[in-house]
Amino acid sequence: MVKFSEEKLKEVSELISHYPEGKQKSALLPLLHIAQEEFGNWLDVPVMDYVAELLNIEPIEVYEVATFYSMYNLKPVGKYMFEVCQTGPCMLRGSDDIIAYIEEKLGIKPGETTPDGMFTLKTVECLGACGYAPMMQLGKHYREHLTKEKVDRLIEECRTNANSLN
Amino acid sequence: MAIKKVLLEKDHVEGIRYYETYRREGGYRSVEKAFKMSPADIVEEVKKSGLRGRGGAGFPTGMKWSFIAKPEGVPRHLVCNADESEPGTFKDRYLMEFIPHLLIEGLIVSSYALGSNTTYIYIRGEYAWIVDILEQAIAEAKNNGWLGKNIVGSGFDCEIYVQRGAGAYICGEETALIESLEGKRGNPRIKPPFPAVKGVWERPTVVNNVETLAAVVPIINMGGEEYAKIGVGRSTGTKLISACGNINNPGVYEIDMTISVEEFIFSDEYCGGIPNGKRLKACIPGGSSVPILPANLLLKTAKGEQRMMNYESLSDGGFATGTMMGSGGFIVFDEDQCVVRHTLTLARFYRHESCGQCSPCREGTGWMEKILKNIEYGKGKMSDIDLLWDIQSKIEGNTICPLGDAAAWPVAAAIRHFRDEFEWHVLNPDEAQTRNFGLAHYADELAVTA
Repeated sequence: MVKFSEEKLKEVSELISHYPEGKQKSALLPLLHIAQEEFGNWLDVPVMDYVAELLNIEPIEVYEVATFYSMYNLKPVGKYMFEVCQTGPCMLRGSDDIIAYIEEKLGIKPGETTPDGMFTLKTVECLGACGYAPMMQLGKHYREHLTKEKVDRLIEECRTNANSLN
Repeated sequence: MAIKKVLLEKDHVEGIRYYETYRREGGYRSVEKAFKMSPADIVEEVKKSGLRGRGGAGFPTGMKWSFIAKPEGVPRHLVCNADESEPGTFKDRYLMEFIPHLLIEGLIVSSYALGSNTTYIYIRGEYAWIVDILEQAIAEAKNNGWLGKNIVGSGFDCEIYVQRGAGAYICGEETALIESLEGKRGNPRIKPPFPAVKGVWERPTVVNNVETLAAVVPIINMGGEEYAKIGVGRSTGTKLISACGNINNPGVYEIDMTISVEEFIFSDEYCGGIPNGKRLKACIPGGSSVPILPANLLLKTAKGEQRMMNYESLSDGGFATGTMMGSGGFIVFDEDQCVVRHTLTLARFYRHESCGQCSPCREGTGWMEKILKNIEYGKGKMSDIDLLWDIQSKIEGNTICPLGDAAAWPVAAAIRHFRDEFEWHVLNPDEAQTRNFGLAHYADELAVTA
């Protein structure tokens, strides 16, 4: 069943308190971030419906928002998502080569997930790290000044982390 | 010449991210000073300073503040625009990441000036770790009495909340940001009414960029007139420039707008020149939306004068031979780079980021991307270049918000100044498909034609 823990529900009430009374819908974007983190890194319809219920708004209001913003995943993704920037400034510093290398290394194209569910490759537009290009977002953090060697190490690091969690 | 720094003066002091160090280094003095002044006096100081919005539009901040409506009994809000998403721009990130208290301090003073008891920082969702840094700084400020009820005995109450976006360039446009803050899709609103009259929750709202609000701190500390002495003409104060692309020292630099573009690119104090002995080919000096210039027009204006790093000089010559200061996202191209390919990435960016409300932008950005893709991959026709020109000219000025213009300008400028590179791709389709080709002759000294 889709339900937040007591602790998360407290976080939700705290969020709602940031806005004037009756304007709880304003908490929608942050709430969807929390929901995505809590429920498997993507937003399934029951999850969005649950968020609508928490905010006392119509489910369509949640779907509208979830489909507009690029950070919400509307289908399952891998345990680790490589979000590689491909916009101009990163392109000037070789992001095309980095993307091609990751494709080759993981055997997937942008938008795809490895069969073991470990990695998703996603190309993204400018993340504001142009001076430290090429770069990718991995979870909460940026990985910058990417090279092929760095990509190798990152893949290794993810595999090791996944193993230690099992 | 030593540049006067007023924002990043202390960015290398160890521990400046934390309250104790920041306060010891003179932090929060502007709040103490501000509370001895009236809100109207603060607005006056900001007007005198000549500060212009640092997000890209360059609109005078003091004037923007003076427009805020003050209906009886209706709360007003200040919203800090930290949705930094313009390709080439990463200055606000630097400021928030390394000197978060400077922004918080600027927000308290500005909130007092505008009468905002609840102030929001709307930050792009990808800057997830910076949310933690800001929230920690807010908590530290609150623990030390700079936020909350009756701040340091002034009678002024203020809370600051951080709101995370979720990946949408358009939310950097102030009315889209307001929609997003209300929990909706980031569709820009038709103006009027302006946010100063009806903004978030239909309340009077001022939206300002991170760097703009941080600059309020030195303005109050030194006084508007002193601040206005930095810089030149209507380009007063300092500007953060985020430099990237093919340069030796990418990074964020604070300049006082009296240095030349040439010095900025080639001096070791700043970009440090072009790596690997390559020549400078082109530059987009103010974020991806502003016109690209070939090296010769970048370094010298059409009149043959040295081009300087300030609002007026960068725009000298209009779009025919000039560009814009924009957000300060400074993207440098070496002689190997292909302008067609770069323009394609920008067209893709704007297609991806168009909210889809206005047909010229929604359809036009998609068409531009498709045509550019054909040209870049050797499948273009000569008539495509004219078609591109035609499409961009029909997007510009025909949309609710400036994203349409922002998408049109880079394509227009690329064709205007690099037409033979587009033609080369059409004439050499096989080669265009197999390698990333840029015509190097743009790096040569060319006769400037106005």
